[in-house]
Order: sequence, then structure tokens, then C-alpha cells
Amino acid sequence: MKHRGPHERSLRKRLLVVVAVVVLALVAWAVVTLMWHAPIAPAPPLSRAFFSVERVVWGEQLAVIGNCSSCHTARNGAPYAGGVPMETPFGTVIGSNLTPDAETGIGIWSEAAFVRAMREGIGRNGQQLYPVFPYDHFTRLTDADLGALYAFLMTRTPVHAEEPPNRMKFPFGWRRLVAGWNLLFLDPDPFEADVIQGERFNRGAYLVEALAHCGSCHTPRNVLGAPKRGKEFAGGEAEGWYAPPLNEANPSPVPWTVEQLTQYLRTGIARDHAIAGGPMQRVVASLAQAREADVAAIALYVATKMGSYSEPRLQNALASLRRAARPLASTPAPTGDAQLALGASVYASACASCHDLGRMQSSNGALRLPLAVALYDADPRSLLRIVREGVIPEEGSTGRWMPAFGSALTDEQLTALAAYLRRTAAELPPWPELAKAVKESRSP
Amino acid sequence: MTAPITLQLNGRSRQVNSDPATPLLYVLRDELALNGAKFGCGLGQCGACTVMIGTEAAFSCLVPVGVVGERPVKTVEGLGSKHEPGPMQRAFIDEQAAQCGYCIAGMIMRAQALLERNPSPTDAEIRRHMAVNLCRCGTHMRILRAVRRAADGLRSRT
Amino acid sequence: MKRRSFLSATGALVVSFRWPADAVAQGPLPGSLAKQPLIDGWVRIGTDGRVTVLTGKVELGQGIKTALLQLAAEELVIAPERVSLVTADTERTADEGYTAGSHSMQDSGTAIRHAAAQARTILIGLAATRLALPVAQLSVENGVVRGGGQSVRYEELLTAGQVLHVKAAPQASLRDPARHTVAGKPLPRIDIPAKLSGGAAYVQDIRLDGMVHGRVVRPPSPGASLTQVDAAAVERMPGVLKVVRDGRFLAVIAQREYQAVTAMRALEKAAQWSEQATLEDVEPVYDAVRRSPSQDFVIRNQGRAPAAAAGVGTRGVSATYRRPYMLHGSIGPSCAVAHLVDGKTTVWTHSQGVFPLRKALAEMLGVPEASVHCIHAEGSGCYGHNGADDVAADAALLARAWPGKPVRVQWMREDEHAWEPFGPPMIASARATLDATGGVASWNYEVWSSTHSSRPGGAGDLLAATHLAKPFAPTPPKPLPQPEGGGDRNAVPLYALPQVHVVHHFLPQMPLRVSALRSLGAYLNVFAIESFMDELARAAHIDPVVFRIGHMPDARAQEVMRLAADRFGWARFKRSPMRGRGFAFARYKNLAAYAAIACEVEVRRDSGELRVLRVVAAVDSGEVVNPDGIRNQMEGGIVQSLSWTTLEAVTFDSWRVTSLDWGAYPILRFPQVPEQLDVHIIDRPGQPFLGTGEAAQGPAAAAIANAVADATGVRIRDLPLSRSRLRAAVGP
Repeated sequence: MKHRGPHERSLRKRLLVVVAVVVLALVAWAVVTLMWHAPIAPAPPLSRAFFSVERVVWGEQLAVIGNCSSCHTARNGAPYAGGVPMETPFGTVIGSNLTPDAETGIGIWSEAAFVRAMREGIGRNGQQLYPVFPYDHFTRLTDADLGALYAFLMTRTPVHAEEPPNRMKFPFGWRRLVAGWNLLFLDPDPFEADVIQGERFNRGAYLVEALAHCGSCHTPRNVLGAPKRGKEFAGGEAEGWYAPPLNEANPSPVPWTVEQLTQYLRTGIARDHAIAGGPMQRVVASLAQAREADVAAIALYVATKMGSYSEPRLQNALASLRRAARPLASTPAPTGDAQLALGASVYASACASCHDLGRMQSSNGALRLPLAVALYDADPRSLLRIVREGVIPEEGSTGRWMPAFGSALTDEQLTALAAYLRRTAAELPPWPELAKAVKESRSP
Repeated sequence: MTAPITLQLNGRSRQVNSDPATPLLYVLRDELALNGAKFGCGLGQCGACTVMIGTEAAFSCLVPVGVVGERPVKTVEGLGSKHEPGPMQRAFIDEQAAQCGYCIAGMIMRAQALLERNPSPTDAEIRRHMAVNLCRCGTHMRILRAVRRAADGLRSRT
Repeated sequence: MKRRSFLSATGALVVSFRWPADAVAQGPLPGSLAKQPLIDGWVRIGTDGRVTVLTGKVELGQGIKTALLQLAAEELVIAPERVSLVTADTERTADEGYTAGSHSMQDSGTAIRHAAAQARTILIGLAATRLALPVAQLSVENGVVRGGGQSVRYEELLTAGQVLHVKAAPQASLRDPARHTVAGKPLPRIDIPAKLSGGAAYVQDIRLDGMVHGRVVRPPSPGASLTQVDAAAVERMPGVLKVVRDGRFLAVIAQREYQAVTAMRALEKAAQWSEQATLEDVEPVYDAVRRSPSQDFVIRNQGRAPAAAAGVGTRGVSATYRRPYMLHGSIGPSCAVAHLVDGKTTVWTHSQGVFPLRKALAEMLGVPEASVHCIHAEGSGCYGHNGADDVAADAALLARAWPGKPVRVQWMREDEHAWEPFGPPMIASARATLDATGGVASWNYEVWSSTHSSRPGGAGDLLAATHLAKPFAPTPPKPLPQPEGGGDRNAVPLYALPQVHVVHHFLPQMPLRVSALRSLGAYLNVFAIESFMDELARAAHIDPVVFRIGHMPDARAQEVMRLAADRFGWARFKRSPMRGRGFAFARYKNLAAYAAIACEVEVRRDSGELRVLRVVAAVDSGEVVNPDGIRNQMEGGIVQSLSWTTLEAVTFDSWRVTSLDWGAYPILRFPQVPEQLDVHIIDRPGQPFLGTGEAAQGPAAAAIANAVADATGVRIRDLPLSRSRLRAAVGP
């Protein structure tokens, strides 16, 4: 073997250093170009007259399907003026002011800035936006639809409202980190219609995937907060509620028809199915203003995802309907189990007077619980929320009313009730760690 | 025959004989002859029946008496009497916060629960907290002033 | 006018009392004295020196008990703590008809004031004799007559016999309002402390020995008939005493209240009904209203129509305004207790008219009126004819089925929502022309409405009586005559207009039962007229307040309008996008209180939410007895009207009413109440009392609608101004 002299060794070292520096520079350049985006110059606020009525109406139709107000309109707050806190594992993000106010809203955003935000999740100032804002869905919106949404937002009543700052956990306060998230998880491809399916299905698919962003709640997320690939609509969570699967794993005991889903999405209630509770209430309030044809298309898409029930599932559906045909309290509680006995007694005294009557016009008669989806969820959170908080129409709106029982029941009673209903109404194995879930469901 | 149930009511133990499924409201009114909590809807929509159970305001029309257990129950009778009204009642009297007055006992208990938890609520917090209770006569402005007055009174005494 | 001579028991003192000659002059007795001319029909003094005031009116939460008490205490010069009040009782008090129409102060207040003043005069006269002093040397203080170093208490003068059992004179020497110490002062309401501390205050709080509980199972729809009921299982339920069935009147009586509730639910399931679709769906209700056969009354026709060639600058404006069925929505559903003992039925009821109720109950039970005794006990606010009379009938029927024990019947929330008589739907159509100077030249107004009163009356006006196997028929409705009116209440504008033509189309039939709801037709008529005045003012390019004052000769009306506008800051108001101001005025019934209201609102485009930011009201109620009572009634009327105007409509399909609870019929909650509400009172000492309880409903509604028009540029004429209507009207 040839012996290297000292001169050759230092040359080799220098070469390595140069290569390392070049590689690092390349990496740094890649990182910087990913993370840093140029701000887009402020555009003068546009007057209403600039936008045609048709385009604004079109934009409104999209906004109600996209349900912007759920995250951008605070309770009793001015529309789209922001202020809604969204809890994530990375901290609390406050929904921003989308009104065309020049100082605190998006009044000086050009259409290009708006489109970049919706497609790439980059704000006008060049900073990343947190992906709790579902731009990973909106990225698939067409140019024309984005233009219409822009026209809609720019013609809202400007509201001067500064939201409180986000409360992010360290180090997620540094927005540039989201560039990594985007690199890994933001799929920039446009929406692709399914050529096999019909026009209505594809319309529904587009609306769901690009706009209504159902997957934001109904798809599980990984540790980095991104939707798990291959697990679309396999069930997720929102605001402390469990959002059940909308695919073949959907837990509804009785299968959804397209008509029922349409009615549910527009009114919050459908025959043989529970009423919309928690975050779905706001979704329904928005969709109530959408064109029926669009909601029907969404329903068709979702129903297709759910697929049809297998024979064993249909047998279970019939069994659920049979259980629902009689009062739950008439089923004797299994003996020997103190918790189930307590649950049975809580049900009989606190719930049966409404829930054994079956749904009636007045709020006095409510759904027979063998049909309640929340009892079939893999996760008890939604049931616990419903019992604690009730399902109450927003002030000034009409609707069926389930009152809140949070102050009526102790944690022990609620745990027992949930266990009893899981066993007797749903006839499913117990939820694991139920007591812990009950404790965590207490509002702060 | 149902076993008697013991309630911790306004600081005293009371035994009642109603069936455990009987809503607390009927036990208070029908068995114990207390007038404070009122029947307004029986559906948890109006709050005329509001009492406190533990530290929270509750609709007594929905709480079966058998579920209360040892948690202390407080009604408007426990806050003071006609001749010796408590601070919250005093505030309502000073503001003359009543027209027909039917909703007021429920309002007082709802407000009591708020001030026990948060002695310095903002006006917006008071409005939001009281929203579950209905008043048909339109006495809302006075009720809000009465709660504000009671809160201010609390602050000045601490 | 009779003279009475009094002989003392001992014969030692003879008092002969004569009214002063000028008081003997013939003349009508003021207020309700005409119905009950005896002074001790109104005011009695006990041997303990306490005064009992009797009134045929009832406390509805409007503070009338306190106000009447103040009047009596003032005129008798006695501390209010020593006065107690007895309200309507068919065996004790005068028959003052209904407590309704804001008449209580005018009728009962006037009578009590006069009776108390005359009682004072009598007592002073007796004291003069007792103390052997001329009247002029006597003074009165807290029930004690003093003079020349001596004194005598009122109760000591009673030894002269039934000194107050004498007919009143048409005139009384009333105390000078400038020297009032009780009336006109903000006396705290006497009923509030008990209501806040669990005292028994309501008919719902009545507990009698051996009392049992009833619940009625009402038909599932107005057209339903009861085909079968299997009562056996219900009768075996714990505590159930009896199941009562008479035609389609179905009820259960149980020992304890919740037992009655559970038994009622079971009885509902055990009953089978055959139903028919007897109603028309909601939207065509206005078409139905227009199509209904009507009796047409021209209630004002004055001035000449403008000349055909009207000249340059005249404009015509027309508009139609509508309101749906509305609920009283009493927060405490109606309740009554009835007790049949030895052939006499005693009923504790919160009915607004215990005397007419007695008559109807007697007819329903088929007994003489003397066998029925109705005693008023307060209910929650009724705002008119709610279920109070009907539940009294239920209780009377159940008392008959379970004699010897008091039976308490409490309506459920769904009962009240489905079966109370509603405020009827109304349509008003206005047409006017403006002359070249922007003044109103001609005014044509037509209003379509059914009856606003189906109060008993007769047995057929009681719900249960129409469901019996031998049902009673409701009294055929007749319009309430002007100047008070029913559907035509406040249909004639108070403004001075060159030509006015007003027609009332009275509709005798309505698919749903309707009756009096606070302010009756005035709510819609004032809403329509004051919205229309605003539309005219805009067409004339004249400020809405200036426009109104310019057409109003009545000085008190002008003053109330100026005060409201001034305190609101009308002239200084700065508009901003989607924010506006509105103004309205009315004199209730053109006879009672004057009210002007100004408000500022904000409309949220996307949600259709209406936020009322600020309301300023001015009111002239004549002489003020309890200023806080007036303020409370105005605040309450404004907030309630805000709820009516922005939220409320009864819903129904072709079978039944579908708004059965607060989820289906939302009313205003705290977050929607105005941020600021101020009431300014103009006191007119010496002027007649003017009823205020209903004065705010109409003007508040119009002020809001006018503010919405100002804020959005869009005029909405259909009530309620709901979110969906606002959203649709304002556009994206």
C-alpha cells in the first residue's frame, strides 16, 4: 500500500472541508428557500363595487360549505372577525380576523396573497401559517373558486379587532418550523376527479376534499399533527369531541342513506340517527345556508366512502332497531355489577323520562339510545360531552334541545351511566379507561 | 316503599320520602314545601328551577333526587329570608329587579353560583353565564345590574 | 246621595254626618266607584289601626298592588307599612272586570284614591266632633288626627259604628300632589322581598290540607277525537287516585305531583286519537287571513281626498305590514287550585277577571254563580289572556271528580305552548300621498285581524268545556268597539292629517284560538304606522323626528318625542356601516300613556344577527304614582317587544302547533338584550293617570325596524325581523 505523505493528507482534509461546506451551504440554501418566503406588497383595500354580485354570492356559497365562520367567528362575535381559540397539541392558535379591515384584518391582502395563503399556507408577510388552518385541503381549490372566496371576504363588513396572540408551546412559536411540516405533508397536486364516478360524486368529492375539509376532524393525525396517510376518514377529534369515522368503519348502528345524510347536514337531525352535537352544530348551521344540491353531493360522497353494510352489520342494525323499539329501562340491568346497577338507576331516573319516549316534536321526547352513534364510537368522548354540555340551539335559532347534565351528575355517576349505555344500548365491549376520560371531559 | 333519602339542604340534613326518580324540584316544592325553585318548563330550558348542587348551578327539574347524594344543595331560602335577605337578595331588592318575579329565585341562584366561583366577573361574563335563564317580562337590565351590584358589594367587603 | 245618621252603642254620642252641599251635586262617580259606590268596598280600617284596601284588580307583576297601596296610604295619611291590599275575590271585592288594557290606575286607582280621600274626610269630621274642634284646626299624621294638643287615632273613631259604610260622593278633597309623601315616590314594591326568599307568592305556591294533583292529557291536535283509552294500567300506578274522562277531556288525579306527571305520560300512551288536518300550513296563513270572510268597519273617515290633479312634487307611497301568531309564553305555565266542598267550588286562579271566570265556570259546571267562589292569586306574568282561565276550568272539573279535597292542576310547558290562546296574525296595508312640501296629504289604512278577545264570556271560552262529551260552544267573537278597539287598536294615527280613512276588517274565524296579547292590535298597528311614517319621511327627505313632530298638534306628544330624541342624541348621531338609528312614537289607544322610543342597532350581514346597542325612551303617564313601576313597565315592554319583533312566531303544520318548547319558540336571552336602555319619565301632577303597561310594545317594534332600515337600506315589513329574514334582505 502506498504511503501518503503529509502534503497529500492535508489536501484530502481541505477537500473534505470544502465538500462539507458546499453541502452545508446547499442544505442551508434549501432550508432557507423552504422557510423564507417573500412578503407580498400591501394592496389598497378594494371597495364593494369592484366585485360583481354574482361572484360575491358564489363566494358566499363556498364560504358556508367551507364553514369559515366556525374558526373565524367568535361566539356572539362579529362575523369573520376572528378570536376563536383552537387547541392543538402544539399550543393554542387563535383564528384570525378575515374581515377586510386594513389594520387588523386582510384588507390589504391582494388576491395573490390570499391565494398563496390558501394554497401554500403562507401569510402575506411571508410567514408560515399553522396547519390547524386547513390549507392542506384548500390547496385543491380551483383558481375561480379562490377568486370567488376572495371577493366574498373582501366585501364583508370590516371589523377592527385584534386577536390575542397565539399561545404556542416551545419551540412551535417559531413559525418557520412549519416549513418542515409542509415539505413532508403538503401535497400540492390539484384535485383529480374520479373518472369512474358520476358528476355528482365528483362534485361532492371536490367540495369535501378541497373545501369542507371534513378530514380535518374526521381523519386521525400523526404525532406531527398531520393527517395519517392511508387513514382518511378513519376517525379523529375536534375541540374535545371525538369525530367518528366516515369510512367503512363508521359506527352508526343503522346505515346512513344519502337522503338521511343530506337532511342531517342541512338540519342537524335525521330519522333513526342522533342529532348533531358539539362542533357539528356549527357545521350544520353553515350548511343550512348552502345549496341543497351541493349538500346532497357531499352526502353522496360521504355515503360512498361509508360503503354499504355487510350482512353481519345489517343484522346488527336490525338488532339495534329492535332494541330501540322498546324502552331501555325495561331491560333489566345485568346483576352482580355494582357499576352497571348504578348506571341503570341513573338512566332510569335522569334520562328515561325523555329517552324512553322516543323522539317527539317537543324536546320532551328524545332518540331511543340504541340508535345513538356516540355509544358506538370507539372513543367515549362525544358521549361524555353530550351528557355534560347537552345539545343546545344557538341563541335565536330553533332546534331540539337536550339540556346539560354536567352539574347534575358526579363523575362516578357519569362513568356508570356511560358504561351502562355502552353495554345495554349498544351491546358493545366496555370503553377502556372510561373513568379517566370522564375526568378529562370536565370543562376547566 | 322507598327508603328515605337524606339531603344536605341549606346546611341541614333533611329526610325525604319521594321516589328516587323524582326530580329534585318536585321534592323541594311538593314534599318540603319550599317555594324558591319554580316549575317553568321541566326541560332544562328556562332555569326557573335553578338551585345549587355543590359548587354549580343545576336545573332541579332534571336532577333526580336519588342522584344528589351527599352533595350540598342550596336554594334561595338558604341565602336569606324576607326580613333578613342575604347580599344577593339585597342587591335584587335594591335594584327592584323583578316584575312578575317568577324567574327571579332561579336568577339569584344562577348568579350566586357565578359569584362563588368568580367574584369579579366582567359584564360580558355575567351576560354569558346568565344566558341559560329566561325572563319573559323583560327585567334583564335590572337583573344584570343586580348581579353587578352584588359583585361590587362582594369586592368592597373583601 | 243619602245621608246616614250614626248612633253610638252607648247612645251618648250621636254623630250625624252630612256631605257638604256641593258634593251632593249629581255627577258620575269617578273610576270604578261607579261599580262599587260604598267607601268600605275599597277601604277598611281595622280595630288594630291597620288599613285594608280592596281592589277588584289583580297583580300581574306590573306593580299595581304597590301603586294602589301608595295611593291609599297617601290619601289616608298613613304609613304604607300599615296598609295591606286584597285583590280580586268574588266574595270580597268590587267587580272591576278584567285587569287588562292598562286600566288599573284609571279605574281602580282613581276609585281607591277617592275612597281613601273621602274616608279621611269622614274621619277628620268625626274627630272634629270628638275633639270639639273645627276641622280647620286639625291635622293628620300617620293615622292620627291632632289638634289643640289632643289626638285621636283612626281606629278609636270606629266606635261610632260602620263609619265608612257610606256611598262615595263624586268629588273628594284630594291631597295636593305638591305635598305628596308616598304617592309619586319610588316606594319599593311590597311583593318583591317574599318572592326573592322563597315566600309563598304565586298560585303555584298554594298548599292546602289534603291537596292532590291533577294533570290533563290534551288532544295531540285541535281536530283530534279520543277513540279509546285503556285507563286500567294507569289507575294502578303509584299514587293515582282517578282517571277522568269526559268526551275528549282526559285527565288523571294523583296523590303527589310527580306521580301525577308520570301518570299523565302513561295516560298519553294509553290513549288513542283519531286526527284530522284542520289547519293550514304556516306560509299561506296570510293568504287565509286575506281570504277570510270579514266584517268591515270604517273607523275613521275625515277630510277630503286630495284633488285629482295633485300638482308637481306629490308622491304616493304604499306598504303592507304583517305579523304572525305569537305566544304569551308565560314563564310559569298556568296553574289553578279548586276545591269542591258542600256544593261550593272555590277556585284559586291567576285569571285576569275572576268575576267573568266565575260566571263561565258556573255555566260549565251547571251550578248557580253563588256556588262558585273565585279568588285571585298571582301567577307569573300573563301579558294578556293566557291559559289561566283554562286551567281554572280543568281544576274545577277535577275538583268535581274528586270532591272534598283541593285539586291542583299545573299545565306543562307543552300545554301552554300548544293551547294558550295566541296573539292573532294581522295584516295592515297603508297608502298615503305627500304633497309638494313633503307633508302628508292623504292617508288610507286598512287592517285585517280576528278577535283580540276570547276571554270568558261563557263556558265555551274555556278550553276544557269545548272538549267535554257535551261541549260548549265558544262565544261568537265580536269586535271590541273603538276608541279602545281590538285589532283596530291604535289603527287611527294620532297625527293631524288632512285626510284620513281607516278600515278595520274584522275576521270572525281563525283556525287557531286567539285572544288578547299585551297591547292587542296596537303592536302591529303602531309597528305599521310608525314604519310607514318613516317611509314617508324618507320619501319626503325630511328627518323622521321632525316629520312626526311636524304632523303632531298634541303638545304632550311633541314633548315626549323631543325628550326621547334629545336624550338619544338624535341630531348628533353618526352613522357607520351596518349601524343605524330608528325612532317611533305612539299614544297607547290614543288615550293612555304617550311613549317615544329611539334606538341604535347594528346588523351583522352574514349571520343576520341584529344587535340593539342603545334604546332611549320617554314616557308621559299623567300623574306618576310609582315612578319605578312606570320605568319597569317601559323597560320590560321594550325588551319583550324586542323579543317579539326579532324572534317570535308560532309554528304549525296542517295538523298541529309545532312550537312546543323554548327550543322551537326561542325568546330573547341575556346576550341579546340591549347594552343600554334608559327611560325618561315626564311627570304631570294633577293629570289623570294614564295606563303604561302596554305603551312600549308598538313603538319599540317600529323603532327597531326603522333602525334596521337606516342601518342596511332595506325595509322589512314582515315580523319577526328574524336572522334569516335579515340575511335574505341584506344580501351577501
